Amino acid sequence: MKQARFGLLLFLFLLIPPVAHLLESIMIIHMHMQMPLLVIAGFLMAPFFQKRFPRLFENWNHAGIPGILLVTIVWLYWMIPRTMDDALTVQSVEAFKFFSLPFLVGVPLRDSWKKIGLTVKKIIFIGFTILFFGMGILYIKVPVQLCNNYLLIEQITLGWGFVTMAICIVIYLWYFVFMDHSKYE
Amino acid sequence: MSTATSKSLKEKANQVMGVNLKDAKLAKSYMAVAFIALLLGGILGLLQGFERAGLIQLPYWFNYYQVLTAHGLLLVVVLTAFFTIGYFYAGLSHCLGGLLPKVRKMAWIGFWMKIVGLVIAIIPVLLNKASVMYTFYPPLAAAPSFYIGLALIVLGIWVCAFGAFINVASWRKVNKGKHLPIFAFFATAVFILLFFGSIGVTIEVLILIAWSFGWIPTVNVMVSRTLFWAFGHTLVNIWYLTAVSAWYVVVPKIIGGRRFSDALTRIVIILLVIMNIPGGFHHQIVDPGMSQALKFLHVFMSLSISFPSLMTAFAMFYVFERTGRKLGGKGLFGWLRKLPWGDVRFLAPMIAMIAFIPAGAGGIAQTTNQLNQVVHNTMWVVGHFHLTVGTSVILTFFGISYWLIPHISNRVLTPRMNKVGVIQTIIWTIGMLFMSGSMHAVGLLGSPRRTSYSTYGDNATALGWDPYLIFVAVGGTFLIIGVLIQVFAVFHMMFFAPKGVTEFPIADPEVPVEKTPMWTERWGLWIVIMLVVISMGYVIPLVELIVNAPPGSPPFKTW
Ligand code: HEM
Ligand SMILES: [Cu+2]
Repeated sequence: MKQARFGLLLFLFLLIPPVAHLLESIMIIHMHMQMPLLVIAGFLMAPFFQKRFPRLFENWNHAGIPGILLVTIVWLYWMIPRTMDDALTVQSVEAFKFFSLPFLVGVPLRDSWKKIGLTVKKIIFIGFTILFFGMGILYIKVPVQLCNNYLLIEQITLGWGFVTMAICIVIYLWYFVFMDHSKYE
Repeated sequence: MSTATSKSLKEKANQVMGVNLKDAKLAKSYMAVAFIALLLGGILGLLQGFERAGLIQLPYWFNYYQVLTAHGLLLVVVLTAFFTIGYFYAGLSHCLGGLLPKVRKMAWIGFWMKIVGLVIAIIPVLLNKASVMYTFYPPLAAAPSFYIGLALIVLGIWVCAFGAFINVASWRKVNKGKHLPIFAFFATAVFILLFFGSIGVTIEVLILIAWSFGWIPTVNVMVSRTLFWAFGHTLVNIWYLTAVSAWYVVVPKIIGGRRFSDALTRIVIILLVIMNIPGGFHHQIVDPGMSQALKFLHVFMSLSISFPSLMTAFAMFYVFERTGRKLGGKGLFGWLRKLPWGDVRFLAPMIAMIAFIPAGAGGIAQTTNQLNQVVHNTMWVVGHFHLTVGTSVILTFFGISYWLIPHISNRVLTPRMNKVGVIQTIIWTIGMLFMSGSMHAVGLLGSPRRTSYSTYGDNATALGWDPYLIFVAVGGTFLIIGVLIQVFAVFHMMFFAPKGVTEFPIADPEVPVEKTPMWTERWGLWIVIMLVVISMGYVIPLVELIVNAPPGSPPFKTW
């Protein structure tokens, strides 16, 4: 429950208008910091909901697949450049961002991650890695400005951010797949 | 139970066999170079102090900027690198049951690469062809051999880092399921930072080699500075982590106590590794080319490093109070008097820790944009790092030398040498109080750093700096006495002290021993998280500075 409290605190902190404004003023920080932090806030708050509504999770997310599907769909939605623009210009979309990322991504992610099997995890990891590389190359190569609110240079920066994240995931996967941990632990 | 007996067995074995002689020779060589660098660098420091005070004027064939370049290089690169590597290799040998022959060979190869690199780099400095200071910011251009020497030094360090990784991995294979001994845990963290922190600067140096040869006409100055500070800042934290390793692991043993919670210690180390490298931006707060919002965000990055530092302060005082009370200290502060103040192995690191309180506070102030604009490139900054590196880190190194050198030399610390050490520590403290204190003050009054003596045409403000600068020279005089005593002590302990066995002091963790979670050993994971943090920190400025690059700069020799 301590975790849930930290999660709530983080969520409230991110809600403070100047904080939100600062984080949204740089494109890559918007997508690669504010959004993941919202997800993390939800992830931390998850135990509270799991305890409060055990039936809900039992009924709707028995094997974890619906949850992870929800996570993927909502997260994919927020990777579309257009949605960031919308969040900045349309109040209700901004509200939806602050609701959807913690509660429709963070919470179900935590509930599902323990339930899904290794294969699904692998699919998720590899899928997101390919997606990150793809998005990265897209953002770096596209010669036009995709967002009204962000300049071309910020888009390129975001592209490199995606590529470096993808590289980090690959290193992580390599570390887990190729290193024989039983030799050490 | 089984661990307890095996530990005492190991201790006995250590006492019988003493130190592994081949590993000891390696460590002694590293220490000898470190303290020779201290001697040379200290003498140059004194010359600078006297020049800045207007007491002497350095001749044209050995001018202020040559001296300053050599002083910086000898003390912040040579002394610290050789000490750190020698110290951790001695510790790895001690707590992993000796170095692997292969690893020992790597450490020797690294040693000679660094020595050759140093010679190659220092020659152009002596010839006045590389007065670019130890930061070698372009567009100031040194002779190519200066950069080639630096590159060799870095490669030598990498060889040592990989040697350490190999030794640690092999230990873990043999000791499956066990925690890495705490000292080796520190060593692993330091070598990870040394390797990853120096990748950027290596790229920079390679480009500068081509640039100084004229193979490429121009260089991107801002990118160079960014790559330099990704390394420079990390280097600072490597020294800090090295000093901290002695504070957590060694000092409690010396005062007869137990060390702080094993799990929390490891978490502090992991945090320092993960959050470190992007902190480099606080050295570029007034640099152009980065948005205000980005700089503001980096303040958080910088300040987040102070969290593990504050945890360290808490942990140390907790250990001191507990030990002092166990020894019979009463009342609010009575335990302080029970601590072994007369033991240099405690006194030196203790003063180092106390110095870190104002030093850390100054650092937190400097990392704020507005305050940084007041002190940037003034003598304040020089005062700051003589307090952090020149006192907190170096005094800890000195304190270490009084048991490490006897340990690796199979000799003992005599009560007389202990007294010499106590006097040395006091002299150093007084010297730094004068020098660093007046540097801080005169910096606030506007006196610039890296500038030889000038009255600026008898300008009143500049004349007002003079009294403070005299105190810099006074402090420097104390310090050179301290340097001479310290170097004497080191070589005396290495070759002339009475024979005997000195232990490598590693404190036992507190009882009852709580279980340290096994996930602390997941170094691969910490490295990946560190890389994520680095890329979050560096992608924005690097893309901006490269894609929107200004025209590059040709090499300049302004001196
Ligand atoms: C005998 C003791 C020492 C004396 C008298 C001394 C004195 C000085 C002086 C006067 C400066 C020049 C300030 C300027 O014009 O900018 C300086 C710079 C510096 N000192 Fe020391 N120092 C001593 C020891 C140390 C130690 C132990 C370290 C680090 C381990 C150190 C690291 C540096 C560095 C990095 C610089 C800056 C060089 C640069 O700006 O390029 N010094 N020192
Ligand atoms: Cu720094």
